[in-house]
Amino acid sequence: MIARKLLGAVALGLITTVASAAYPERDITGTIMWGAGGAMDVVSRAVQPHAEAVLGKKIVMVNKPGGTGAISTNFVNNAPADGYNILFGAENPQLHKVLGLAEFDYDKFFPVTIFARSVGVVVVKADAPWKTMTELVEDAKKRPSKIKMAMTGPGGLPHTVASMLGAVTKLNTVSVPFDGEGPAVTAVMGGHADFAPVGVGAATESIKAGRVRALAVVNTEPVDSLPNVPPITKEYPDFGKFLPWGPFYGVFVRKDTPDDIKAALVKAFKTATDNPQFKQLMADRGNIMMNISGAEAEAFMTKWQSVTSWLLHDVGAAKISPEKFGIPKP
Amino acid sequence: MSDVMMNLSYFGMSFLDPYLMFLTAAGVFFGIYVGAIPGLSVTMAVSILISFTFKWGVNEALALIAGIYYGGVYGGSRSAILINVPGAPAAIASALDGYPLAKMGEAGQAIGLTTIMGVVGGLIGVVCLAVGAPMLSDLALMFAPRDYMMLAIWGLLLVGSLSGGMMAKGVFAGALGILFGMVGLDPLTAEPRFTFGSVHLTAGAPYVAAMIGLFGVSEVLVQLHELHFATVKQNVSKLFPSWSLIRKHLPLASRCSVLGVVVGALPGAGGDIAALMAYDHAKRTVKNPERPFGEGAWEGVVAPEAAAVGSVGGCYIPMLTLGIPGDAVTAVIIGALYIHGLKPGPMMLLETPHLFWFTVGNLALACIWLAVFGFMGIKLFAKIVEIPKSALLPMIVVLSAVGSYAIENNPVHIYWMLGFGVVGYFLKMYGYQVGPVILGIILGPLLDSNYRRAMISVSNDPAEFVAEFFTSPVSLVLLALLSLTILSQTRYWGRLIGCFRRNGAGTAS
Repeated sequence: MIARKLLGAVALGLITTVASAAYPERDITGTIMWGAGGAMDVVSRAVQPHAEAVLGKKIVMVNKPGGTGAISTNFVNNAPADGYNILFGAENPQLHKVLGLAEFDYDKFFPVTIFARSVGVVVVKADAPWKTMTELVEDAKKRPSKIKMAMTGPGGLPHTVASMLGAVTKLNTVSVPFDGEGPAVTAVMGGHADFAPVGVGAATESIKAGRVRALAVVNTEPVDSLPNVPPITKEYPDFGKFLPWGPFYGVFVRKDTPDDIKAALVKAFKTATDNPQFKQLMADRGNIMMNISGAEAEAFMTKWQSVTSWLLHDVGAAKISPEKFGIPKP
Repeated sequence: MSDVMMNLSYFGMSFLDPYLMFLTAAGVFFGIYVGAIPGLSVTMAVSILISFTFKWGVNEALALIAGIYYGGVYGGSRSAILINVPGAPAAIASALDGYPLAKMGEAGQAIGLTTIMGVVGGLIGVVCLAVGAPMLSDLALMFAPRDYMMLAIWGLLLVGSLSGGMMAKGVFAGALGILFGMVGLDPLTAEPRFTFGSVHLTAGAPYVAAMIGLFGVSEVLVQLHELHFATVKQNVSKLFPSWSLIRKHLPLASRCSVLGVVVGALPGAGGDIAALMAYDHAKRTVKNPERPFGEGAWEGVVAPEAAAVGSVGGCYIPMLTLGIPGDAVTAVIIGALYIHGLKPGPMMLLETPHLFWFTVGNLALACIWLAVFGFMGIKLFAKIVEIPKSALLPMIVVLSAVGSYAIENNPVHIYWMLGFGVVGYFLKMYGYQVGPVILGIILGPLLDSNYRRAMISVSNDPAEFVAEFFTSPVSLVLLALLSLTILSQTRYWGRLIGCFRRNGAGTAS
């Protein structure tokens, strides 16, 4: 009886070893947190082939936008922890707790890599009357609840930058949530919203083509891809206390994924992120490369969460105090 | 002049290069089968191809993708006609009259006719793309949230056409669909709705699983009652529809193709909505079909097929001109362009104009291949319906389960699919149609988020909300169309027409 059990255990052990040694033995599903055309989508699809080259299997990409990332995070968290469901995610889940969107954040996930971080940019329609950030803010103060801002729901980059704007300038706008940063830029192009704070990546090409105009980048210095756009601190030095700040892009798996699978993924994505073609694309789109994983990435994410959660709490955008979840003040 | 020559040379590129020609053909061929298998989507096929074609040149990749796209959109109607399981969401409307045709032994000719009309729709779509891309993309940008809302309402009016003569039951089924569409996290605020604390419900009702269940599995369950009936012998002697049949439906197909292009060009609506609206258009405009709609009207397969395949050209418009996807497939193609070193966006047409004409030529080529492969294997396909029910029905259920799982490799979708199958069965047994349910699932969320978006835009002020409708030409046109459509269904319409007639007669005399 004992022998049989032992045998069973050994056999099971063998199967597990064999199974994970061969990882990946089938295609991987890559769930993208945001909609097609947004910054997260483009970054994910650009790194995918390079990672596939190392892994030797395909990564089938699926967009699962909505709920400020809660839908995709939930989905991957509900999938088996076997490394076949990986999350191409942005920073959003780090705010899910304080926004009351979900009971977990990235604490249930292991950061395979954090590729890069981006910076926000405030765009208006090409023929909009405002030439500078100050003009937009002053107009919004003069006509409260008249100027429409395209957003992507509580917790996204547009929302956070809007919180900063609110905290620094006390402007009063109408926030209209769209399905992603891409649709938000489209709404500005079509005149259905007056301005949108979005990631530089979602707006660069439309800015270059003159369909939308950038008023300021949410950074302390200009970014390489938009050298002529002034940093927001030039007009509003008070922004400096929040900066440098920017959304980050990464790949995540469930924390209880076997270690050898995590290692295989880390190796694959480290190599993929270092690919010169990918780095060029990231630079083109105004991102700052990071390529960190594991503990280093976790430290970065924890700090980001602390800064942003307390910022949202201070502007009254947090539903639950960060204190309740033990998120330390920065 | 040299510009025209250059454009022409890029247009002809895939016609002259045997390898590109072959890739397009291969794409169409595989696309038809991907499309015909429920659950295997074109989006999935194209995203797999992106990594597959990673090392290829961009032209080769685009040629293959264009082929798959056309083949897949067209192929979806095959299974819709043959076994009442739409292979793709764009083929939902094709099942409504296509399946009754198969039941009458006309599956072969139905597929033949959809092939011709699909090619017609596709070519019209390509012409619209070539001629009107910048204009149509500007039009698409003009669509405000309130316009998407009206589009959704207009689509929901289709319940009238799909309710099988019993309006109250149709409205009930449509409302049921909208209710199913509400399940999951609120798209605007991420509040859980009707999830009852279950994490599996937070992702909402997957509408492809709903489609497979409501159409396929429920039909299987209904057919169990008639298991002893002999299968219908399919008439496959004449696959190519008669010239008179084609000519008769050409105007309808053309109108529906243009409708498909416009709906396809909208970033928030694709081939599925286009095909459903085309079906509705056919039902409203064709007064005396040979057979009533829902019982095997030719118009009922012509209109959705032309619109669905036509919408492909439309979906390329915002993608090529603005870098914005027109639907899920073009979203993936945008990813492909990035990976091949291009930067999709408004600059792409200026920096790489040849890409536009190459794509136009390539899509035209794909349509031509569609005409070739569309007629291949129809006889074999039509035989599927002749398989004894005791063997065919279990096969459909297995295929449905595999297809549902394949959507996102998520077993939860199989439960959804089976659940919808059972719900669909009881609906059918009590005389409700399942069409309005799927309509509600697709259009409910579109209506929900865009109504609220429009309302938020005006700070929840109802007066301003109403006023906004009169501020843009797009809203005005949609409002007029919507009002006319509703009005034409009331008894006042006849009087109004009569009034006009009398006045007209008065001026004439």
